[in-house]
Amino acid sequence: MSLTLAPFAALRRNRIPPLTAVGVAIVVLLIGVALLGPLLTPHDPYQFSIRMDESPSADHWLGTDDQGHDVLSRLIAGTRLSLMFGAGAALIALGIGAALSLVALSFGRIAETGVFSFFDLIRALPGILFALAFVAAFEPGATSVMLALGVSFSPMFAMITRATWRQQMARPYVAAAQVLGASRIRVTVVHVLPNIIGALVTQFAIILPRCIVLESVMSFLGLGVSPETPTWGRMIANATQNTEAAPHAVLAPILALSVATFGMALVGDAMRRGFDPDRRRIAV
Amino acid sequence: MNDRLVQTLVPIGADIFRSLMIAAGIIVFSFFLIRMIPGDIVDVMGIEGTLTYGQQDAMRESLGLDVGWWQQFTAWLGMVAGGDFGASLRYGTPILDLLRVAMAPTLILGASALAIGLTLGIGLPVLACVFQKPLFVGLVQFITLWSIVVPTFSIGILSVIVFAVWLGWIPAIGNIMVPAIILGMDTAGTLAKMLHEDMVDTERAAFVRTARAKGLSRWRIVLRHILPNALTVVVALFGILLAGALTGAITMEVVFGLPGLGTLTLQAIQGRDYPVVQAVVIWLGLTVVIANLISDLVQRALDPRIGR
Repeated sequence: MSLTLAPFAALRRNRIPPLTAVGVAIVVLLIGVALLGPLLTPHDPYQFSIRMDESPSADHWLGTDDQGHDVLSRLIAGTRLSLMFGAGAALIALGIGAALSLVALSFGRIAETGVFSFFDLIRALPGILFALAFVAAFEPGATSVMLALGVSFSPMFAMITRATWRQQMARPYVAAAQVLGASRIRVTVVHVLPNIIGALVTQFAIILPRCIVLESVMSFLGLGVSPETPTWGRMIANATQNTEAAPHAVLAPILALSVATFGMALVGDAMRRGFDPDRRRIAV
Repeated sequence: MNDRLVQTLVPIGADIFRSLMIAAGIIVFSFFLIRMIPGDIVDVMGIEGTLTYGQQDAMRESLGLDVGWWQQFTAWLGMVAGGDFGASLRYGTPILDLLRVAMAPTLILGASALAIGLTLGIGLPVLACVFQKPLFVGLVQFITLWSIVVPTFSIGILSVIVFAVWLGWIPAIGNIMVPAIILGMDTAGTLAKMLHEDMVDTERAAFVRTARAKGLSRWRIVLRHILPNALTVVVALFGILLAGALTGAITMEVVFGLPGLGTLTLQAIQGRDYPVVQAVVIWLGLTVVIANLISDLVQRALDPRIGR
């Protein structure tokens, strides 16, 4: 269990680096906005109006877009959606990557080779290309984007699962369990799994911002959610048609996306370094 | 002697075999994934109202879409094996011609990004290692942090707004320099981080202490003793970096309005022109597989400890 808590212990022992603190603050703010979403929106995010392309004002803090939507309200509504879709994709990746590889690893060499060839295949295809082809094959939409990103990121979890699993299998407690007659499956599920959860959580924190960005890219390319749905990517896609008249309408979601990924990546990186004490030289 | 030859050749053979299997996987995958799309090109053109039912049947027949998927697959496989991806369903042009035209911007973008990435990604850690001054170490940290926290997509769109729309320094469509720099910095960050960590580790090795004791200059120690050791990191990362640059190029093309493979794929997906999508998936997929194989083989040659 000590390994599971290692990143947090490392944070407690040392002073939290300022940039990591910034990251944590951003993540907390994002989660707050995502949870409170509808309570915070000053206007209805789906409400059209004839006040199109207005610059920021007291009534519309971030102005309005080309269809007269209040940009701030859409941004707030989009926070929940973008985080949800990103987290959904990352969870699918975690599920597929960790579950499949653990099953394969506990069953032995042949299963391992087979399953990891599948992951190698996915890894060989450039991620966005895989997602594009995948979404094209099914109907474009939030669910297929989440599935596509989930599948294309699953090798990242499979690799980390295999690497940590191998490390753990070489440890004395595994040998002890085996001496007591525990099967390979039991050792993997009961003894090893609790010890690799920390690594998986860290990997999740690193992958999550990437999923959020790629979900936005897919929406930007017109393969994600429907045009009316205010995810950040969709807002960017709609507003880039109209940058001259309403630059604020594209700046707001792009900055939200940037700040969000900035914060999450900082937290993910801090967690990763907490795991890997030798690699803390590049102190962020 | 014979044993040694076997020991060298078997892992190489395994590498090549694995790459071939993945390549075959990509080809089969690209066929079936695209075939799952509901509706074919004829349906799409039918909805667009340009074809009568009679014409639709005739078109399916001429495109070979009227037979079962197995016949379509084997026929297609035969063509692909001969290097022929067929014709675009939409434009009727041979796909190889479309690819050739679209390859150019993607390759130029990807190659310039890789060039910038390798220059910065190797140059900065070397400077940091030679001078060990806060300025250079700070630059390495900056570019590392940059590539971790700044997605190329958002900085790309921001640059279009700032440099093209507001300042008018670059054209809003067709600029290749800015996306190349953005992608290059991303590549550089990944590389600089690994290389810097590796060089700091190597710095503590006994042979470096010996080199210092011999009174060699700092440049010589770094360039002749530390860097060659750390370069295996670059080789190991090369496949990943190339894949990253190509993937990034696809997004950047759409953001910056370049007529490359990404734009072609997107249009093909929207138009249900699946032979084009298949061809792009296969081309890029095989490029990455080959790059990975080369990087594996070079690594084996450089570092005899691998795979023993």
